[in-house]
Amino acid sequence: MNDAARVREKKPRRPLGERLRELPARLNPVASYRRNPTLWKESGTAYLYLLPALAVLSVFVFYPFFSAFRISLFKWGLLPPRPYVGLANYQYIFHDKYFWRALWHTLYYVAVTVPVTLFLAILVASLLNKGLKFLSFARTSFFLSYISPIVAIAMVWRWMYNADYGLINYFLSLLDRLPFLELNAIQWLNDPKYALNAVIVLSIWHFVGYQAIILLAGMQNIEQQYYDAAKVDGASGFRAWWHVTIPLLTPQLFFVFIISLIGSFKVFTEVNILLSGSGPLRSAETIVYYILRLSGRVDGGTQHLGRAAAASVVLFGIIFALTVFQMTVTQRKVHYQ
Amino acid sequence: MLRNVMVGLLAVLLLGAAAVAADEPVTIEFWHAMSSGHQPNLQKLVDDFMVAYPHITVTPVYQGSYSSLQGKINAAVAAGNLPAIAQVYENWITPLESILYPIGPHMAPGEAEDIIDGLVPSNTFNGVLTTVPFNKSIMVLYYNADLIATPPATWAEFYDVAKSLTADLDGDGTIDRYGTALRPAANPEQFLTFLDQAGGSILNADWTEVTINDAPGMAAIQFCGSLIPYTFVTSEYISDHIGKIAMFIDTSAGYPYNLTAANNAGFQLGVAMLPVGPVTQGSMIQGTNLAVFDVPNQTQAQKDAAVLLARFMLRAENTVFWATKSGYQPVTKSAYELQAWKDFVAANPYQQAMSAQMLLGFSQILHPNYGDMRTVLSTKFDEIMRGAVSPLDGLNDMAAEIELLLEE
Repeated sequence: MNDAARVREKKPRRPLGERLRELPARLNPVASYRRNPTLWKESGTAYLYLLPALAVLSVFVFYPFFSAFRISLFKWGLLPPRPYVGLANYQYIFHDKYFWRALWHTLYYVAVTVPVTLFLAILVASLLNKGLKFLSFARTSFFLSYISPIVAIAMVWRWMYNADYGLINYFLSLLDRLPFLELNAIQWLNDPKYALNAVIVLSIWHFVGYQAIILLAGMQNIEQQYYDAAKVDGASGFRAWWHVTIPLLTPQLFFVFIISLIGSFKVFTEVNILLSGSGPLRSAETIVYYILRLSGRVDGGTQHLGRAAAASVVLFGIIFALTVFQMTVTQRKVHYQ
Repeated sequence: MLRNVMVGLLAVLLLGAAAVAADEPVTIEFWHAMSSGHQPNLQKLVDDFMVAYPHITVTPVYQGSYSSLQGKINAAVAAGNLPAIAQVYENWITPLESILYPIGPHMAPGEAEDIIDGLVPSNTFNGVLTTVPFNKSIMVLYYNADLIATPPATWAEFYDVAKSLTADLDGDGTIDRYGTALRPAANPEQFLTFLDQAGGSILNADWTEVTINDAPGMAAIQFCGSLIPYTFVTSEYISDHIGKIAMFIDTSAGYPYNLTAANNAGFQLGVAMLPVGPVTQGSMIQGTNLAVFDVPNQTQAQKDAAVLLARFMLRAENTVFWATKSGYQPVTKSAYELQAWKDFVAANPYQQAMSAQMLLGFSQILHPNYGDMRTVLSTKFDEIMRGAVSPLDGLNDMAAEIELLLEE
């Protein structure tokens, strides 16, 4: 209780009726606030501002989602008849080994890509935050990997990965000359063991710059006073970074983590361009690739739109569950300045 | 007398009206996926068409990649705003059969018969020529002419050449040059070509039985299996590894890429017809067709105009013009007799093999579930060629999975 409140308390008591009228507002402040006409004026304006975004989201996100859910219950073709089949489409995908393989490939991709990218991004951002001489040049260079179109990037990486003429195998062959190393040329894109890993390396390289820039912006917003205080307490270097920078960076870390988690579940273009398909023995078929294959958009498959919709509803469920988990559990660790 | 005059006048009036109606200006859209390099040539054909039929205006609409074009067509089906005519793959339109406007019944005598035999089944729904072929390519044999003086003419020769040219050149225990290469996951058409050459097919003629693992299928898969030790099996483009491959079967549409790659690798690229199989010298034709849509937003005049455009594209001089400019192959028999085409082939020797192969070509079946059958073929063919399953077991798996698709 602050001083002003104490002063008010000393005022003479108001009549009981007046205080009773205020009781509902005290018990349920929100409900009573809603009855306040000025609020409607204020929030009405707020809703007006939200309206364009809501309209766009409704048309391009909410409607397609509910529509996909509806389609997943039908044997849906481009033209009628579209018989209702209940959960048959879900049954089909749950009994399809390629669905489970695609799910496994996707989980593996996410489990490696997300933490490694985040770790490297923190490292890069911390180095950039050291006050480099050519900071803006370095920043631009890192960001360039992100703003280059993924199709172009994948084409370049395809050549770097080329087993016969590629840069990566060339470096391996140089290392091979060392007496204690035995390295053979690796069929990066043509070996089921390596194909998905090749995609992972490309993705990490692609997203590190973007994440680093966001983290760097967060780091540069941390006020000097915290570091000064840490210095007074005898913390410097790594300890200041660990106890000041990282905790105060958690909002940005949290944002980047969620965005990259959701994005990683949706990986497709990198796979399709780098491997010109789903890889040897379908070793890099991800969930989104699987969905597009069922819908006849890749590999010239038959168009099973109901099955594709069912698979996308399952993907939505997974991403939704993980995001809710993060919002409720991980967010507790987020500190705001 | 008066009655006769009146009837005569009425007849003249009606005929006049019909004549006017036939020449009433009509505008149609032509959706395609031909990128910028092809567009001037496509536009020239469209311009020629508009000169021949001055009352028709054709607006070619570039819809991006094939995948985007497919997406736009699907969306237009739902939205009810399909164009009069579009470039389509077979699998895109098998679900749309009921809204296709058959072109065949509106052709002049002899026109339909002029289409290359191998292309007729993949454009015919229930015995009616419905779509017409447009840009087509065929599998041919590419070879390193510095290594191979005479390309193999039979399966046995193909095997011998592949075996003799597979070599570990630097003695490090790994193969540096493969006799041949296959791209089974992306290109199951390579297997389908062997299957056809052995006299086999995926299904019987009325699509009631799976025939892929009959004797011809077994011969085809065993031949592929015998090639495994001498084959570079890849999911990448063969041209990306062309330097270490002596010969390979690939589509004629890949010629420019294979030529560039061969030049970079420093060898002469040869093109030949495929070796002859036990039964045929067939080869698989792929590519798009032209479809006219029978939908409420297209008037009869627009559908008629679209049919005229499709027929115009089939004319010998036009399919030859398109082929010489685009690298695709002419789609009618008479085109191959045209002097312009003969001159073009004489000036471009690689075309000789493609041209001859095209007349022996076959194309995919129009089964509504062909897309999934192709996925089964590509998955299993890949497993077989990578040694994950034995050739005969793999073939029987193919048959069992296709059987299930037939029941769907």
